[in-house]
Amino acid sequence: MADSFLVDYAPIAVFMTIATFVALAAVALSFLLAKHRPDKQKNAPYECGFPPFGDARAKFDVRFYLIAILFIIFDLEIAFLFPWAIVLGDIGWLGFGSMMVFLGVLTVGFIYEWKKGALEWD
Amino acid sequence: MIAGAMFYVFALVLIASAVAVVSVRQPVNAVLFLILCFFNAAGLFLLLGAEFLAFILLIVYVGAVAVLFLFVVMMLDVQGDAPRPPLKRFLPMSLGVGAVLLVQVVVMAVFWPQAQAVISVATDIENTKALGRVLYTDFIYPFQVSGLVLLTAMIGAIALTQRGSRGTKRQNVQAQLDRRAEDVVSLHHVESGKGIL
Repeated sequence: MADSFLVDYAPIAVFMTIATFVALAAVALSFLLAKHRPDKQKNAPYECGFPPFGDARAKFDVRFYLIAILFIIFDLEIAFLFPWAIVLGDIGWLGFGSMMVFLGVLTVGFIYEWKKGALEWD
Repeated sequence: MIAGAMFYVFALVLIASAVAVVSVRQPVNAVLFLILCFFNAAGLFLLLGAEFLAFILLIVYVGAVAVLFLFVVMMLDVQGDAPRPPLKRFLPMSLGVGAVLLVQVVVMAVFWPQAQAVISVATDIENTKALGRVLYTDFIYPFQVSGLVLLTAMIGAIALTQRGSRGTKRQNVQAQLDRRAEDVVSLHHVESGKGIL
C-alpha cells in the first residue's frame, strides 16, 4: 500500500537524477576540457577594482530580514490556498467565505505594509 | 522494499545532518545542514503518505524559513572562529531537554497502537483533499485565528524593523502643492551694520 503511490514519484526521481548528472557534467567538463593557466595576476584586483576574494560573511541590512518575514507570511497564505482550491467544489459557501475572510485579514496587513513603506527599498 | 530502504537513507541522512547542525563551527554551514534536514524530513513525510505536509515543508521551511535563518545569521555577524564556549555550561540544560524529548518519544511509541485506532487514516482520498474538506469548514475558528496570527506577525515585523523613511528624499506632490509663499518666505529690511537675529 505504501509503495503504490510512491510509483507516482518515479518521474521526479528520474528528473532529479538527470539534473544531478547535468550539473555534475557541466562542472566536470569545464574542468577537464578548459585550459588551466593559473596566474597570480588573474586573481589580483584589476586597475582600481576591489579585491576579488574576501570574507563572504558580510553583515546584511535588517531590511532583508523584513522582506524575508513578509515573504514567509504570504508563502503561508499561498500554502492555505492549495487545499482550498482542490476541494472548493465540496465545501460550499462556508468554505469559500472563510477563505475570503482569511484573505481579507491578510489584505489588511498588506495595505498596512504598503502604506508604511515596508515594501520600498529607499 | 524500496520504500523501506529509502526510509533508512532519509532517516540516516536526517540524523547525520541534525548532528552536523549543532556541531559545525560556521553558523552559515549549520543553516545549510538544517536545509538538508528539512529535505530529508520531507522525504520521510512522503514515505508516510503525507504528501501535502512534505511539500509544505519544502515550500515553507526550505523556501522561506531557512532563508530567514540565513538572513538572521548574516545580520548577526557571528564568526565561526570565536572560541567554543565550555561544554559544561550547556550540558545540564541540553541533557534536560533531550531527556524530556526521549520520554515523549517512548510514551508515543508505547501508546502508538491505541492512537492509531483513534486516528483513522483515510486511504481512499488524497490527503490534501482530506485536509481541505475539514480545514475551512469544521476547523473554521483555528483557520481564522491563524490568519490573525499571520497579521500580527506581519505588523510586528514591520513595527520592529521599519524606522520611518530613514532620511530618504522622496517627492511628495501634495506637500509641494500645499506650500505657499507667505508661509515659507519672509522679507526683512536689514539696517546697515545690524544684521538680523
